[in-house]
Amino acid sequence: MNQTLNISSGPHVRDRWTTRFIMYIVCLALLPTAVIGVIVNGMQALLIILVSIGSAVGTEALFDLLAKKPATWKDGSAIVTGLMLALTLSPNTPVWLPAIGSVFAILVVKCLFGGLGKNFVNPALAARCFLLISFPSSMTVYKLVDGVSGATPIAELAQGKAVNITSMFLGTAPGVIGGSVIAIIAGGLILWAMDIIHGQIWISVLVGFTVFIGLFGGQGFDPKFLAAHLCGGGVMLGAFFMATDYVTSPVSRLGQTVYGLFIGILGAMFRCFGTAADSFSYSIIIANLFVPLIDRFVISKPYAFRKRAIEIQRGIDKPPLFKRIPRPVIVLTAIALLAGLALSGVYMLTKDSIEQQMAEKKMQAYRTVLSGAETFEKIEAVSAYENQVYGTKFGRVFINEAVVGKDGEGKLAGYAISVTSSKGYDGNVTISVGLTEAGKITSVSFTELHETPGKGMLAADDAFIGQFNGRKAESFKLLKDGGSQTDDEIDGVSGATVTSKAVVNAVNAAMDFYYNVMGGGRNE
Amino acid sequence: MKKTFRGGVHPNEKKNLSCNEALVPFDAKGEMVFPLSQHIGKPAKAVVKKNDPVLVGQCIAEADGFVSANVISSCSGTVKAVEKRRTISGALLDCIVVDNDGQFTMAEGIGEPRDPETMTNEEIVDAVKKAGIVGLGGAGFPTHVKLMPKDPSAIRFVIANGAECEPYLTCNDRLMRESAPAIMDGMEILLRLFPNAEGVVGIEDNKPEAIAAMKEAAETHPRVRILTLKTKYPQGGEHNLIEVVTGADYPLSKLPADMGCIVDNVGTILAIGRAVLFNEPLFRHVLTVTGEAVNSPKNFIVRDGTNVLELIEAAGGIREGMELKKVLAGGPMMGFALASLDVPVVKTTNGLTCLSEDGSEKAEKQMTACLHCGRCTTVCPTGLLPQFMAEAAEMGEYERYEKKLYGLECVACGSCSYICPAKRPLTETFKRVKAEIMAEKRAKAAGGQK
Repeated sequence: MNQTLNISSGPHVRDRWTTRFIMYIVCLALLPTAVIGVIVNGMQALLIILVSIGSAVGTEALFDLLAKKPATWKDGSAIVTGLMLALTLSPNTPVWLPAIGSVFAILVVKCLFGGLGKNFVNPALAARCFLLISFPSSMTVYKLVDGVSGATPIAELAQGKAVNITSMFLGTAPGVIGGSVIAIIAGGLILWAMDIIHGQIWISVLVGFTVFIGLFGGQGFDPKFLAAHLCGGGVMLGAFFMATDYVTSPVSRLGQTVYGLFIGILGAMFRCFGTAADSFSYSIIIANLFVPLIDRFVISKPYAFRKRAIEIQRGIDKPPLFKRIPRPVIVLTAIALLAGLALSGVYMLTKDSIEQQMAEKKMQAYRTVLSGAETFEKIEAVSAYENQVYGTKFGRVFINEAVVGKDGEGKLAGYAISVTSSKGYDGNVTISVGLTEAGKITSVSFTELHETPGKGMLAADDAFIGQFNGRKAESFKLLKDGGSQTDDEIDGVSGATVTSKAVVNAVNAAMDFYYNVMGGGRNE
Repeated sequence: MKKTFRGGVHPNEKKNLSCNEALVPFDAKGEMVFPLSQHIGKPAKAVVKKNDPVLVGQCIAEADGFVSANVISSCSGTVKAVEKRRTISGALLDCIVVDNDGQFTMAEGIGEPRDPETMTNEEIVDAVKKAGIVGLGGAGFPTHVKLMPKDPSAIRFVIANGAECEPYLTCNDRLMRESAPAIMDGMEILLRLFPNAEGVVGIEDNKPEAIAAMKEAAETHPRVRILTLKTKYPQGGEHNLIEVVTGADYPLSKLPADMGCIVDNVGTILAIGRAVLFNEPLFRHVLTVTGEAVNSPKNFIVRDGTNVLELIEAAGGIREGMELKKVLAGGPMMGFALASLDVPVVKTTNGLTCLSEDGSEKAEKQMTACLHCGRCTTVCPTGLLPQFMAEAAEMGEYERYEKKLYGLECVACGSCSYICPAKRPLTETFKRVKAEIMAEKRAKAAGGQK
């Protein structure tokens, strides 16, 4: 026994978990989400994922080589970054986009700040935001599986439309590759059970988000509405996988709770008061920037120095429970609860009458455009097209409903189609188009128009909207400067080109829908 | 639910290597070496000189001051030298070297039964002091000092520490299984000193036989209850045990007695019992020789001063074809690595763990940058923020380390280093920084006096 013995400070045994192991587990937890993304979106999604991971790992390896640093790419963190970035991209983005994103994430956000553990914002999210700002048009193309371009559920939610929560939950709704909420939750809960992500963070993100949306979202604590908000716009991916990123989240439990609530509330604020789609990424990035501040000031004391422990050391008996909760917490909670209850109460009470009023307005419009009809029946056969962007050449146009109008004796009086264009000067323009069986327009009427008085609002005047009466065309053309001669030319409202265009597009969409989907107008 | 403290880790126990080995007395053959400093406090003063004859149980060095302890010879023979020798901690310290005659002749009066009823409390504490008893859990604090708190009537709990939370070690498990009544005798003596106290024996639930044996022995001792603890490191830490028993956390600046507790290792309590009842000073204690690298792990009743090499040989020596990477005095969490095996075991050596695989060596190769994962914070039994402490230490922000992060409260249990996936040397850093800050404070205090 003459050999030299190792000497070092204790402990002399170590846990089996290493950095690499944790990174691989995170990858595994993201795998179901990625697999569903590929199944739903096809091979393009797989290609995006592979390119993203490949360029992330490659960038780090190359950087290590050039900077003569130890090969840190092996620790698996680059794979996580690449995979996460890919999951936040639309499956329709061109392949060079994730490559640029990954290089930005690894090179600029991570390596240049000192590598693993030194980046101040989440690299994948920073790259996503970088891409959103630099290539907005390529980043926001979301298509349905059958090739029709579609709005993301969150965009529709912002327009006050109903969304299909089930498809969002499963991941079949239009959106990013990592859109399957059920897979994200499953992976996240596994990480939580393995104690890899902190419950304080994701729970407080979701609680903060839900409560804020419930209080200020305008529809109270309506479960469907809240579920739709939670399932869309990357909230789940953000809460479970982005916000919980070790490096860019606080260390102490209290700090983590503060940070989580901050993200949740900020994200919900963006949802309620800002432009909807990509706000959640920004809220996490902003919260990341506050982490050093939180870490500096929210420092938990050792157990022996906490208030209760000191009381015990001094032999003070345990005060009753309600005295241990700080009073402001009780007051704030009570106020928040009351406000939430009041808001949801008001919503519940008025919900039915709002819907009734809308239906009434619609019927009125149908009666106006089909003067001979007395009853209107919804055409269920074409309901599959409802609430989706219709066609590609009409701007963002939605077919709301198509009805068949019948006169008092039950004879066909014509058809009416309700169309919404979201490209008005000030939001949505909804019109009802009345059509004879032969496809001739009887008249057009507005159900929703809130444009600029004296300009866009003039579209409601007969001088503009009346031009359609009795005409028939495959497609109307808008003449900005007037002087229309043929049947398919429409003079715009002067000074309100946007509104005019939205109306003409909506009418054209209705015509197109009537001819091509409903198959009308052929037997002249 | 079993009671436990906050935080903690679950290292692989490895107790099955040696837990079925009954305690066997081991009589050393070679020379015996007794360092004068085997305890916390001032080194003892040698009272023998070269060529003096000594007997087993004879006091060969006397406590020098209040916080100090007698050193007892564990063999008979003649004093060969009083000189500086390499000790188990690696330091060169004054030692009494005795040429062991192999007879182990007892000194007069050792082992004669005494009736504690005839003794006053002062006489009991004095007997403990004379016996040279120190905390056998590892710290080595002179026990007689512990037994003299300001107000003995304020002590609410006398806690016997049988947690044995260090991986590998099993000697206290065996001691409780085999000598439960003797431990109870020691408990009764302690309870007599503290009339208002309740006796609590804390044992981790991975030692069901020890729990059963102690429960059986406790049946005739109404003031003692057995507390089953969750198996979790560092359950046997003084702070953690007190947290479990009383629900109180207290800073390092306070003593267990301030919290109304006296905590002693079960081995120490047994020694107190024997010292009082049989006039037997502390010259032997239990010790586990274990680890993957030894042939047949054993639990010994070992005499102080026995050479480490001799003990490893007694456990079958090093396994054929196995590389002995590291030998630890104690277990792998808080034990320290030996540089040389030619050193004597001291009172506080409760284990010799021979490892064929060095966890810290492997960890050094796997080290990455800190991930900020917060595992260290979760496991810290003191509630510290090891990640921030490491950062502050790295940046030289000692002010923040001490005042904001309470870094000096670290008990160096090693949980943070153990759990760290990035394999950062956290505990090592904290030990070093604490030593630096304390040295600076001492220097300042010394400067102030001038």
